[in-house]
Amino acid sequence: MPKGTKQAMKFIIYTLLTISISLSSVYAQEDYLSYTDTDLHPGEQVKGSEVEIKEALLPPTQSAEDSDPFEPINRGVFWVNGVFDYFFLTRVSEMYRGVVPQYGRERVAYALRNMNEPIVFVNNVLQGEMDDAAETLARFLLNTTIGLAGIFDVSTDMGFGYKKEDFGLTLASWGLESGPYLVLPILGPSNFRDTVGRMGDYAFDPINWWAYLDEQALYSNGRTGAQILDAKTDNLDLLAELKQNSLDEYATIRAWYKERREDLMIDDVDRRSVDSPRPDDDD
Amino acid sequence: MIKKIVLFSFMLFLSLKAANAATDGTQAEAFMDGIGQNVIDLLTDKKISDQDRADQFRTILDTKFNLKSVGKFVLGRYWKQASEEQKEKFLQLFKETTVASYSTRFKEYTSEKFEITGHRVESDGGVTVLTRIIRPGGQHIPIDWKIFEKNGEYRIYDVILEGISMGITQRSEFASVIQKGGGDIEAINKALGLKLASYRR
Repeated sequence: MPKGTKQAMKFIIYTLLTISISLSSVYAQEDYLSYTDTDLHPGEQVKGSEVEIKEALLPPTQSAEDSDPFEPINRGVFWVNGVFDYFFLTRVSEMYRGVVPQYGRERVAYALRNMNEPIVFVNNVLQGEMDDAAETLARFLLNTTIGLAGIFDVSTDMGFGYKKEDFGLTLASWGLESGPYLVLPILGPSNFRDTVGRMGDYAFDPINWWAYLDEQALYSNGRTGAQILDAKTDNLDLLAELKQNSLDEYATIRAWYKERREDLMIDDVDRRSVDSPRPDDDD
Repeated sequence: MIKKIVLFSFMLFLSLKAANAATDGTQAEAFMDGIGQNVIDLLTDKKISDQDRADQFRTILDTKFNLKSVGKFVLGRYWKQASEEQKEKFLQLFKETTVASYSTRFKEYTSEKFEITGHRVESDGGVTVLTRIIRPGGQHIPIDWKIFEKNGEYRIYDVILEGISMGITQRSEFASVIQKGGGDIEAINKALGLKLASYRR
């Protein structure tokens, strides 16, 4: 990587990190448990959960749920991504699916995932999850050798399943709030924290270091491209279905992303179970 | 090691709590056991007509889900602002779009297997039954079902697909439609009506 690019990246990481740290205090507001709303409930003190109260105090055209202050810009990028997707990514993806059978695509997917293990390991360590780190290391060594450079996932059969980690999740485990939702060009849905995370993963990935020192500049870009194609091909039907069934594709993907990331943050036990449909007195 | 002890005591705590909870985990599993494979077989059945599949799926929605509670949840704060007539219309459209979108979505799929892997008693009195669908290629798709018992009846309230709650996703989507439509509840009924018409074309 040329020196200029490196400095620019450093600058971007620091800026985003600073912004998301400063924003996290804004988003971590105090909880209130009751409020007065003279329009809806005159002269009454209304009690409710934090979310309900926040919502009740907002005008009906605003959302309490999704932190998305850049929505107009995000929707713009989302639209451009959609065009790129329609004219290029979906075509390539369909070709890939047409030429390479599922078995072959699975091998590629596993190999790509295996190349991701070193950075998973780094994040396991950064989160202080030493058991997980040992497991990730074992997975990487087993799959790289017996699994022939990772094209076979032998370790899952031995009881070590893959568990995704990235620097965005590490920052979350350190208590950093997600910050506003962002749609990145080509890469798609993210937020401030995960964007910083993505750059962190890129910068600290041991395989990228190796590529950098070995002057394999094309390698990283090639891998990112392959990862995008793999993810896209894997989800081709799902995304087509989403287009057909969603009333607002942008909002659905935003919610999916948020849900998915929150799910990944929770280790095995209890998810935030309280926010889901439940019975009440009048049904 | 410490993590495992903590985890174990947490599980123990959960199972003790389960004794007092409103919804019984084992019974919720038995309830799901009766539905899961049926739904999959129905949605992937190529021998029956689209109309029959839709009708049978509607019956399952009516008898095994609590669509009113789900509808109320996905409409969020807009539920309270809606008139009785609007609510009625919304629930009807919500059900019919769900039927239309799911009843033809999976008919190309083949021989999927449904498997219950366990359950988790939740702090709100419900039970999450953990299941997965095993595709012919061997891939696993985890699906969790949020179940409550009310008046002696078990009903599904949410479906969580690979960690993504359908209830929360739809609430977000519907809120966005309403907000874009100037904060009017009619916006969602209009959008659902158009969607339904597009399915029936």
